[in-house]
Amino acid sequence: MSNKIMVVDDEKIVVDMAKMALEHDGYVVETFLSGESALARLKEETFDVVVTDFKMKGIDGMEVLRTVKEQYPKTKVIMITAFANLDTAIEALRGDVFDFFPKPVKIKELKASIERALEK
Amino acid sequence: MGKSLEGVLRSLQKKMKRAVSPSPPFRDLFNKFREVLASHNKAVEMIADMGEKLSGEYLFDTNYIENAYAELSTAVWDSIKSFDSFTRSKYPNLMDAFIRIDNRISDMLSNSASTSGEVIVFREDTLWDMYYEVGGKNAGLAEVANILKLDVPESFFITTLAFDEFIAFNGLRERAGALMKTDSVSENDFAVLRNAIIGSKIPPSLDEVFDKAIKKMRTKCGALCSVAVRSSAEEEDGRLSFAGQFDTVLNVPLESRAIKEAYKKVVASLFSLHSIAYQRRFRYDAGKMKMAVGCVAMVDAVSSGVVYSVDPSGKKENTLISANWGLGKTVVDGLVEADIYRVKKGQVPQILGTRCGKKETMTVVLPDGGVDSIHTPSDLRGRQVLDPDAIVELTMMAQSLEKHFRTPQDIEWAIDRNGRIFILQSRELRLGEDERHKCASVLKSLVSKPVLIRNKGIAVQKGIGSGTVFIVKTPEDIKDVPKGAILVSKRDFSVFVRLMNDVSAIITDIGTPTSHMASLSREFRIPTIVNTDDATQILRNGMGITVSINDEGSTVYEGLIDDLQGCSDENAASVTEGHEYLRKRYVLRHISPLNLIEPLHDKFQPEECKTMHDILRFIHEKSIMELVDCARHQKASLRGYTAVALDLPIPASIVLIDMGGGLEKVRSNTKNDAKKTATAVEIASIPLKAILGGMIYPGAWHNEAVPLRMKDFFMSMTRMPDIHSVSMSSPIQNVAVASREYVNLSLKFGYHFNIVDCYCSENPRNNHVYFRFSGGATDLVQRSRRVQFIASILKEHGFTIWTTGDLLIARLANVGRVRMEEVLDQLGRLIAFVRKLDALLRDDTAIAYYAQRFKEGNYELMEGGGKG
Repeated sequence: MSNKIMVVDDEKIVVDMAKMALEHDGYVVETFLSGESALARLKEETFDVVVTDFKMKGIDGMEVLRTVKEQYPKTKVIMITAFANLDTAIEALRGDVFDFFPKPVKIKELKASIERALEK
Repeated sequence: MGKSLEGVLRSLQKKMKRAVSPSPPFRDLFNKFREVLASHNKAVEMIADMGEKLSGEYLFDTNYIENAYAELSTAVWDSIKSFDSFTRSKYPNLMDAFIRIDNRISDMLSNSASTSGEVIVFREDTLWDMYYEVGGKNAGLAEVANILKLDVPESFFITTLAFDEFIAFNGLRERAGALMKTDSVSENDFAVLRNAIIGSKIPPSLDEVFDKAIKKMRTKCGALCSVAVRSSAEEEDGRLSFAGQFDTVLNVPLESRAIKEAYKKVVASLFSLHSIAYQRRFRYDAGKMKMAVGCVAMVDAVSSGVVYSVDPSGKKENTLISANWGLGKTVVDGLVEADIYRVKKGQVPQILGTRCGKKETMTVVLPDGGVDSIHTPSDLRGRQVLDPDAIVELTMMAQSLEKHFRTPQDIEWAIDRNGRIFILQSRELRLGEDERHKCASVLKSLVSKPVLIRNKGIAVQKGIGSGTVFIVKTPEDIKDVPKGAILVSKRDFSVFVRLMNDVSAIITDIGTPTSHMASLSREFRIPTIVNTDDATQILRNGMGITVSINDEGSTVYEGLIDDLQGCSDENAASVTEGHEYLRKRYVLRHISPLNLIEPLHDKFQPEECKTMHDILRFIHEKSIMELVDCARHQKASLRGYTAVALDLPIPASIVLIDMGGGLEKVRSNTKNDAKKTATAVEIASIPLKAILGGMIYPGAWHNEAVPLRMKDFFMSMTRMPDIHSVSMSSPIQNVAVASREYVNLSLKFGYHFNIVDCYCSENPRNNHVYFRFSGGATDLVQRSRRVQFIASILKEHGFTIWTTGDLLIARLANVGRVRMEEVLDQLGRLIAFVRKLDALLRDDTAIAYYAQRFKEGNYELMEGGGKG
């Protein structure tokens, strides 16, 4: 059974590229352009890994992270952000993020991180 | 850099134009040259970095592109400023070019792509960067005609702006949007929408423009002219082919009503199950694509077909041509067994093989519009469609299209009754890889299985597929094809695209490797064989088979392979094919490609710069030339520097002007300085030392006379080219302007001239060598042979070469110091060796003869070399 990955980013190009890259490796991928739609879907479906953008309008990546950690503790969260600085990284790490990448992120590295998340 | 900055740039530009100052001292110029190099290199590195980040290996967002471009734009601007200061505002138009390109990129980044505002554009008025307006297919066709000057039928393009007006006027966007949100949309739902589009009205704002264009078209190609009305959706024929996904209406009379009806029919074809399936695979926002349409004059075609500039199933140096009588529809739709020609590319293409197809049917135009498929007259069926001249000409065209577009091309062509070849379309050809290395164990397990079909037909897409046979008799059957099946069909259909995410392989009885379906098979990476003749007879529904296609051939085995062990994983679309990715990446079209290549070409002008890279290339080339000119024309201004005659073991008469660090010991240039010469060991300039080391290498320099034939002697007396006049009037015959890491060397030997401009430091990015050679005493043929000889040697050392007649320009950059010193040593030997060589190059064979000897380190000159 293929692992299920959720990708959340408010930019279509990010979710599209992530979906095509991860499907290429055999993952089942669902994409969402907002934190709201992602959290709504999480109520219906279990995902092994959530890859989310940090900064989004409305429900942002930190809120997605908090919700996942509280309600779906088995799901790992990987954060990606265009606005990488130490504060955001620390904030994410305090929220128990599995991994944290500044954009542009090398797809190979993201895939390796997902593999590690699935092993744990 | 937004438009608000334009005013500031223009005022700066004017200021710079006014500020023409007297020649600065040479040292200042040299320092400025170094500044230009530094800013140039920084910008080029940024372009490379953007290229890497947008290569498909990184997830990036808009924010990244905006920031990266802002930095690049600043770097290019800095480079222009340094260059402007260095050349004393010699090229003010370069700033105009920068502003133009920068505005275009800024518009793209802010999603407000500037357009001409036209709803119809004629082919000759279509610029290379109007692909958003006229669609990829039309833009490509215009480029073929306007830039490559190949024959393309008269045409006009109805733009995406017209599409927007048409769709908005009829409220169709909302209707399409609502349909796309429906969960289980059927072909019937699409048919209803298509009928609504066909029944819609052309808005009055477009009506008049359409009529005007039709009238103009009539004046261009005659009142009886008819056109093909063809789709050219946004990005169609860009990286994705959309082959056969949209309608084309052939042979439409040039009448207002007929053109408008055909236009609506083509636009309506955006909405079909197979077109939407294709769009979804590549992550398009289905239903939001815009469509431009081309109205292309029909060619009264005797024959038509497709050329692939690279044979997808064979060697890369071969082209593949498919041809049938009449219009090309039978070939692109895979309806017939067409003629197949395989040709080896080259200056004189060589026909390798011809396979005369059965060509049972052909498509012809009807007198009152439209086309019909007829049985090919018996006298034409068995006859070869193309004669050798046409095959060679088509191959030459394919070569030039491939060179121009820099990728293998899939080209549609037609030949009229006068034998004139028209290009109807040229788009990127996608080539499959041989995946055998990934599939070794699977291939091994196949060996024991019974073979059903071997090496019959033509391989279209390599790979391995295993599944149960499903024979499709009509396109309607495709709804019943189960997931994972091997689709077997009498002929090919482009509607198979609906199944391509699900089937394991495709095999057809008839068809061509150049059809629309074949293009789609390659795009979807579905192992495919066409034209097997009788696959539908050999294979039975429900039979378990495995298809294996690789460079060695194609085989259909009986039996299934349960685990393909990753051999079929490649079917998924790759990141670099995604619509949003391609769209964002378009910005690179205005940044990375290099169009200004030939420095002596008329078009090597700021006005011709299309990309930021072009601007940087112009700056680099002209900076070097500026320095070369300074050394050649302003020698008087060099008097304040240390100048010594070089005391060398060869009579090269070189004076060295030391800008600092060129000599081991600093010399004063006063009357009290008794010693005015320096030996080779006293030279500290890294590049000069290396070149001279080569020039004085034992045997390379010949003092002995080489006999001139009588005509050469007269030639030498009558020739006085302008390049010699400067140095002849100068008291200094040969001059080297040098510092520790730089040399500009101007050498005149007899009647030919060498210029070397070289920077050689520890940083490879800063290093370059520019070599210019021209002139000679012999006739032009022999002088040209000498240039060809030099080119053949320098090519081996990685130089980029441009030659015309007896002139050669060679450039090499970005090499490390050690490598550069080796190259300069060879260049020095070459400069010495070729001094009299032209007199001995009496025929073309002598070029290769001496080239071989030179490479072996044999510098002996032989009368009659190359003979026998």
